[in-house]
Amino acid sequence: MAVARTWSVGLTGVDGRLVEVEADVSNGMPGFFLVGLADTAVTEARDRVRAALVNSGESWPNRRLTVSLSPADMHKRGSAFDLALAAVVLGATGSLRTNSLPELVLLGELGLDGRVRPVRGVLPAVATAAQAGLTQVVVSEADVAEAALVPGVAVLGVRSLRQLLAVLRDTEPPDEDLPPLRRTVRAAPLLREPPDLADVRGQMEARRAVEICAAGEHNLLLLGVPGAGKTMLAERLPGLLPALDRDAALEVTAIQSVAGVLPPNGQLVTKPPFCSPHHSATVAAIVGGGSRDVRPGAVSLAHRGVLFLDEAPEFASNVLNALREPMESGEVVIARSGLTARLPSQFVLALAANPCPCGFDGLASEMCECPSVVRRRYLGRLSGPLRDRMDVQVLVDRPSRVEMFDGTTPESTAVVAERVRLARDRAAHRFAGLPWSVNGQLPGRDLRRRFRAAPGASIQVEEAFARGTLTARGVDRVLRLAWTLADLAGRDRPGVLEMGEALAYRTGLRGGLAA
Amino acid sequence: MTPDEERLARAALLRIAECGDRELGELVATFGPGATLAGIRQGTVDARGLPAWQARLPLVRPEQDLEAAERIGARLICPGESEWPSQLDDLDCESPLGLYVRGPDDLRLAAVRSVAVVGARAATSYGNHVAGELAAGVAERGWTVVSGGAFGIDAAAHRGALAVGGSTVSVLASGLDITYPRGHEPLLDRIAEEGWLVSEVPPGVAPSRFRFLVRNRLIAALTRGTVVVEAARRSGSLRTAKNANDLGRVLMGVPGPITSGLSAGVHHLLRTMGGVLVTSPAEIVDAVGLIGEDLAPATQGPRRKTDGLSAEALRVFEALPAKGPAPVERLAVTAGLPATRTLAELGGLALSGLVERVDGGWRLSRRTRG
Repeated sequence: MAVARTWSVGLTGVDGRLVEVEADVSNGMPGFFLVGLADTAVTEARDRVRAALVNSGESWPNRRLTVSLSPADMHKRGSAFDLALAAVVLGATGSLRTNSLPELVLLGELGLDGRVRPVRGVLPAVATAAQAGLTQVVVSEADVAEAALVPGVAVLGVRSLRQLLAVLRDTEPPDEDLPPLRRTVRAAPLLREPPDLADVRGQMEARRAVEICAAGEHNLLLLGVPGAGKTMLAERLPGLLPALDRDAALEVTAIQSVAGVLPPNGQLVTKPPFCSPHHSATVAAIVGGGSRDVRPGAVSLAHRGVLFLDEAPEFASNVLNALREPMESGEVVIARSGLTARLPSQFVLALAANPCPCGFDGLASEMCECPSVVRRRYLGRLSGPLRDRMDVQVLVDRPSRVEMFDGTTPESTAVVAERVRLARDRAAHRFAGLPWSVNGQLPGRDLRRRFRAAPGASIQVEEAFARGTLTARGVDRVLRLAWTLADLAGRDRPGVLEMGEALAYRTGLRGGLAA
Repeated sequence: MTPDEERLARAALLRIAECGDRELGELVATFGPGATLAGIRQGTVDARGLPAWQARLPLVRPEQDLEAAERIGARLICPGESEWPSQLDDLDCESPLGLYVRGPDDLRLAAVRSVAVVGARAATSYGNHVAGELAAGVAERGWTVVSGGAFGIDAAAHRGALAVGGSTVSVLASGLDITYPRGHEPLLDRIAEEGWLVSEVPPGVAPSRFRFLVRNRLIAALTRGTVVVEAARRSGSLRTAKNANDLGRVLMGVPGPITSGLSAGVHHLLRTMGGVLVTSPAEIVDAVGLIGEDLAPATQGPRRKTDGLSAEALRVFEALPAKGPAPVERLAVTAGLPATRTLAELGGLALSGLVERVDGGWRLSRRTRG
């Protein structure tokens, strides 16, 4: 018997690789031998495929079957190979004509009754296939919408194995009474609809801080007592970011698909994501990984959007430290024996913190009972390198009674988002041909050399540096913010006013400026 | 003679004679560059240097020199042209016959308010630091910093000016296409990009001890004053100092420890050459600036905390309540300024330590209140 061949796709993180699935029937003791570094889910495929075949009216060959998943040195995980395995087994035994199989890519899990179940990661898998020139894809019916997001691909969605075989044999589709399957979605800490900025009353500086962070993609640290509205403000940040462009949308949708949090309608995600993990999250939950699989962590779920750590000092310090790598390089590299996965993780970081563990800070009306050592140590949990990356640090006050009920309507997200969009356009224009698109990405060196403030604007800041009130990096941060302020004001270069206002967004808790 | 012909003639003459050749200078001043060149070729000029000049005629190749200059983005400027810094004419017959310049068009404008900062190559960290700070300080006040691109004080001065986005001119003793010293390639590249590289020496010509000494006269002549930061008793910078004195430029010196050999030259300059002792950029600018324009503030006693605040900053400062914090919106109304403007002023006031941000808004800092 000739070898039967078809294609499927294996995923490592969000990167797919074509997997060739072959089956060979030969003489010898009957048995099923699966090779190709398959994990448990894949090896269990034998039982699923066998039951599915038999229950679809096909016969399981009583021969020696060797099935191979190539490349042989790549680890294969998950149940998406089931459909391909079923096809090549039938092809190798002669029950299925094999000439069309090598042009197809099959992705689907098989139920024991022969139904084809949806799997995670369909979008990146199909994209990988399309890139390799394989444009005919078979997936579960429930995955059709997602697969169709990839341009130039012909997608066949099947509900059952019997249905697929009928198509391949060019016979009448079976009359089955199978209810359609819906993809189950893991609960995810993602906001679907970003709430409106108009809900935030008063708080001029904090609102402006959120606007600035959206315009320049600066990281944001919100400090304030409980109830001040820090969480409310952070949740409104992604709504100010522009919709994702096509490439970014495909990236984000692929990540959510692999993570299993893509909504079942399989539409392209066009809104920047908002991911807010609880402070009890582990390093793996934040950064990605897992014992067998490589699942995207919170930093990847927030890719192209906002990662919000509420009660930041409550996070374990190794978790906070783990943020450094993705923030520096825009990706997380997970290295295991046998595989290296890269997960994209470019996000705007928003942190919220109370002044101290009890929530208050000896302020006018509240009593804080914590000793000063405890207070200092609390915010000190946000390590130096992390605080270094927080361009904007603002105090969020509790809204006063006057502000709450004064009857004026604050600016809505739509209004502010338009200003943000114009500012970002200015910046994009300035950075045309350069590797950055927003001010927040600008490294200090290039900032100082090519993007200086207007003459005379920096004198005050430079003098502060000379006195030691500001560190060198503090000066850089002020300038970076001033550029965003200039973009928002429609100015060519930051002047004295922009530098001054930028300083105001760097207030530390002790009232003085964060150096 | 057309400007282009004059340029070619001067390019030729720059190959024939060493920089600052008095005799040649006199001839060119009297007869013009073209006639002088022709006279040398034909042997009709009456000068002691004629044999030496004629011996160098085979080296003359003005078109190639100008092309070589153009290849590195440089040009040759000649006396009388709009870009020629006229203060160089104070050198009289030792004035350069032409200058190769690499940098934006307005060398003359840059050199009008310029100060030379020179000193030892083997500078101490004190000298390097001070040179950088003084250069940065005068650059911020709108003065161009001129130096020689050498190790030590020169480099520190250039860097200081560049660090604040100021203007700097480096006068080299080699052709502009030669990087000397080699270790300064990045610095000189940067100056070429953001400032000016200037040389009397044609492209391709290496520096020599003589050329180093004579280029110092250019540094002194180009500027309104020369500051010597650190110099040993026998330093080349003292030569520049003497040039400055002879040209009627302001001579300044930055003192150092009397135990340091590297400050001995400066102290000598201050004692015997009429140099002015300077310790800050303001004093330098005071010395070289025009009367009434650039006076340094007489150092007074302790200043009032609100001294030096702009009118708007003062309004915001005075809008702050005596006790307790106030939100920006309220301060803006009291001060009569837009909220973002008020915030900008508050930022500056916070930087000066006069105000602080606490829960509930902005208030006078403890220092100010107390």
